Amino acid sequence: MAHFETEYQRLEASYSDSPPGEENLLMHVPEGAKSHWHHIENLDLFFQRVYKLHQKNGFTCMLLGEIFELIQLLFVVGFTVFLANCVDYDILFANKFVNHTDSSKVTLPDAFLPVNVCSARILDNVFVMFVVIISGVFWLHRLVKFIYNICCYWEIRSFYINALKMTMSELPYATWQEVQARIVEIQKEHQICIHKKELTELDIYHRILRFKNYMVAMVNKSLLPVRFRLPVLGESVFYTRGLKYNFELIFFWGPGSLFENEWSLKPEYKRGGNRLELADRLASRILWIGIANLLLCPVILVWQILYAFFSYTEVIKREPGSLGARCWSLYGRCYLRHFNELDHELMSRLSKGYKASSKYMNCFLSPLLTVVAKNVAFFAGSVLAVLIALTIYDEDVLAVEHVLSSITLLGVCITVCRSFIPDKHVVFCPEQLLRVILAHIHYMPDHWQGNAHKYETRDQFSQLFQYKAVFILEELLSPVVTPIILIFCLRRKSLEIIDFFRNFTVEVVGVGDTCSFAQMDIRQHGHPAWMSAGKTEASIYQQAEDGKTELSLMHFAITNPQWQPPQETTHFISQLKERIHREATGVPSDTHPLSLSESEPRSLIANLLTGPSALGSVHFGKDNFLTNHAAAGISDGASALCSLSPVSGSLHLRGSLSAAHRSAGCYTSTMSKGMAGSGTDARTVSSGSSAWEGQLTSLVLSEYASTEMSIHALYMHELHKQQSRGEMSRHTWHRQESDESSDSIPDEVRSHTTPHSRNFPHSHTFPTTVSSPSTIPTSASASATSSTTMGQEAASSQGGSHRRFSGPTTDSFGAGGRVVRSARVPMGGWAEDVQGATRHHEPLPEESSEDEMPPHIHKVT
Amino acid sequence: MNCRSVVLEVTVEARQVEEAMLSLLHTILLHRSSGKFHYKKEGTYSIGTVGTVDIDCDFIDFTFVRISSEELDRVIRKAVSEFKDALSNSGSDGVGQISLEFYQKKKSRWPFSDECIPWEVWSIKVNVVNLANEQERQICREKVGEKLGDKVINIVEVINRHEYLPKMPTQSEVDNVFDTSLKDVQPYLHKITYQITDSLGTSVSTTMRRLLKDTLAL
Repeated sequence: MAHFETEYQRLEASYSDSPPGEENLLMHVPEGAKSHWHHIENLDLFFQRVYKLHQKNGFTCMLLGEIFELIQLLFVVGFTVFLANCVDYDILFANKFVNHTDSSKVTLPDAFLPVNVCSARILDNVFVMFVVIISGVFWLHRLVKFIYNICCYWEIRSFYINALKMTMSELPYATWQEVQARIVEIQKEHQICIHKKELTELDIYHRILRFKNYMVAMVNKSLLPVRFRLPVLGESVFYTRGLKYNFELIFFWGPGSLFENEWSLKPEYKRGGNRLELADRLASRILWIGIANLLLCPVILVWQILYAFFSYTEVIKREPGSLGARCWSLYGRCYLRHFNELDHELMSRLSKGYKASSKYMNCFLSPLLTVVAKNVAFFAGSVLAVLIALTIYDEDVLAVEHVLSSITLLGVCITVCRSFIPDKHVVFCPEQLLRVILAHIHYMPDHWQGNAHKYETRDQFSQLFQYKAVFILEELLSPVVTPIILIFCLRRKSLEIIDFFRNFTVEVVGVGDTCSFAQMDIRQHGHPAWMSAGKTEASIYQQAEDGKTELSLMHFAITNPQWQPPQETTHFISQLKERIHREATGVPSDTHPLSLSESEPRSLIANLLTGPSALGSVHFGKDNFLTNHAAAGISDGASALCSLSPVSGSLHLRGSLSAAHRSAGCYTSTMSKGMAGSGTDARTVSSGSSAWEGQLTSLVLSEYASTEMSIHALYMHELHKQQSRGEMSRHTWHRQESDESSDSIPDEVRSHTTPHSRNFPHSHTFPTTVSSPSTIPTSASASATSSTTMGQEAASSQGGSHRRFSGPTTDSFGAGGRVVRSARVPMGGWAEDVQGATRHHEPLPEESSEDEMPPHIHKVT
Repeated sequence: MNCRSVVLEVTVEARQVEEAMLSLLHTILLHRSSGKFHYKKEGTYSIGTVGTVDIDCDFIDFTFVRISSEELDRVIRKAVSEFKDALSNSGSDGVGQISLEFYQKKKSRWPFSDECIPWEVWSIKVNVVNLANEQERQICREKVGEKLGDKVINIVEVINRHEYLPKMPTQSEVDNVFDTSLKDVQPYLHKITYQITDSLGTSVSTTMRRLLKDTLAL
């Protein structure tokens, strides 16, 4: 103690001129705030902005875009007012003559009214003034927002440049996954989030999509009043941007909303105690907002009309067919969206399905309309032909009054008619088309399958995929309808809404309050009819409909291979992957006695891409039981995918490359250092850890991810269909599944992972004499067992990380130091394996059991 | 959101409020202060020393340690006595909350004012009880002492975790992290706020500010 005091004294006394040597004892070096990116206050907003800047392709593009938007707005209003008030149309139409001294030509400026007349006319017209003032206020609001945004995004820009080390010029060519990987990386050094040492991909997604996830969940649980049964129109969906805006205003950010700030629900809404009182309060708030909407209705209406007029007239003029074109409706986007799916992911998915969807909708041309259209087109065509012929003969015909306009009108008429006449040489297969659509949109109600040719299905699909014209019309109607929906429909649901937010909000450390569905926890929200039977503990109220939890989980795991899901989830994913793989490769198994290693999505995809027709031809028509069905489904999808994606040698090459990356990426973090021996592995390790390199690779990777997801979605729908087919077949399916899984996975290991959920009958291929303690070591050390399937991988994953990776490990070792990429070519690695003999032994029964499925089933039932 | 928050709850008698609050706040600040920094030319610095004092409470069987800095003590005492007055004047059921918020300043570009970003918030919820007779008071005196002892251990546990702390600043940035206004000690930048009854969190001004921000960010 005394020592310290003296030290202290001396420092105080001779602070400036003490000899340097003695002070070294108490010297510190400040770390300083090297960057100011540590500890960001509002991470939600921050990540949203980072994402938006990425989507807008960098700062300059965004700036320019916003400036032009502002100018456009000004132009729209100015031009309308000008056209309405300052043009002398009599002069334009030559009803009135101008007397010029020098020439007889009428010039455009002649048609303009003088400035003072013009302004007087504007000032006199109350309606015009009203429009001008509203637009002025709106424009000013936009301007302020613009300036504010520029300041904020400048900050984000410097974040990109200084922290993420990405220049704005390379941003448009970087995928979001790359940006995200860098964010995860810099969290370790900058601590942008202070709660955790490391950020996960899911954290970032949660923050960006917090409210969207809630909306998706509410649409999924049919909580929002967007479906209506109307007297004439039947069941219809009304969900517009205005309505969506109001919902968000009420729930998330408006004054007195349920959320306290971006990241937390108000505490009183988390307690169940006074739910009735809260519901009352919410109801009255909805009422007020509805009334406000009603009062503002004329303003919004005028705005909508102006906006629609100027944004669509140009398009319609350019291609009149575009009104007959379709687009994904707002409701469709909500219904089809996965939990934790970013905008660009959703859009790319839907765009891929667009072609097939419009083709599908075109199957349903009304024959009556076709007959009428054909004849109208015929008459219009004849007149048009004559007029054109005359014009060609002598162009003076054009000078005759109304000839030019009738040519134009006839042309439009024929275009419209033609859209109602189906192409003679196209054959429609609605069922197949619907499956192709499903491969991309991933969700559809159960009753659509098998009813694809029916009109009801078409009508329901058109709720998701509506005419552009209908979309515009709905937007125009929205200001009038929105207050009605708010006041009469949403208000009644206030108690349900309160309950929803209370029951489905979880607080995640480092993220805040999120929708519990977005956690994608099979146990809490899985649906037993969607592959999570036995794993889910959810009540009907808690189950997400349409297999949303399961499909979202697969989607997220596939798009973010680096993500480390919780253990049970990992198990689910790997199990599903294994099964899909087996279904895909099991069919030609007579020719290939060995099943391919499950860690190769490429092999699966390649298989599907190269031989879908063979696959399909074998199994089409047989709809006896699951395997064939699923296989048929997959091959359907595959042929669809095949037709959509160019299958070429280069694709295959890139595919195999990406597969190597992908599979390595999945396991990088769990990979033991020792196995990074071979060349490719070393490279993938580095790419996994830093993810700075290889833009091309990641692009290819994401392309493959979507294909893989399509196959998964198809497969899960097939399974679901099978399962929901009555109790009897369901029973069978269960047994079958159990046998399959117990083939590859020793029962002990299995029951270890999910102790409570499974009591499968023991497989005949694997007698229960395998003692449980020895199972895990064997699967880990004797690579023969463990490398065969992903299921085992998953099973052993609970034993430890190195064990989890055992499959690929042996893969690369088995190749004997060869580059892994080539080792992953189907069969390549196995053929030269020393332990081939033992391995032959293992998978064979499994294949045969699959081949002998019918007798097998008989045995069980 | 991007800040830790710790909530402590105590139930005390009206006359104990001041001492209980002082003991907890001082305990926290003891661990969140350092000696004065003396910067040298080469970008290094040395840290001055900090003394401690034991304080015995009058109305509670409790002794706590605080930094021997009269200035710091004055600041805290002032905040606590304001809180106590507000609590006794409120006349309601005597529920209040005092919070100690550590924050960091972040220099912003011109149109925005400097941001104060909290990184740790300690909220102490206080329940005031009225006791009937002297015997109960005696029991309460001991009990509160024990409780406070637990809380102090609790605080130390929280502080001992390896969690985010602002990085040690360079000379030019020291004002963004530490409160350098005191002569003899240098705590992290902090502010003490209180509210009587948990009347739904946010004050009017923050709500207004948020509203404005929201409309801008639409």
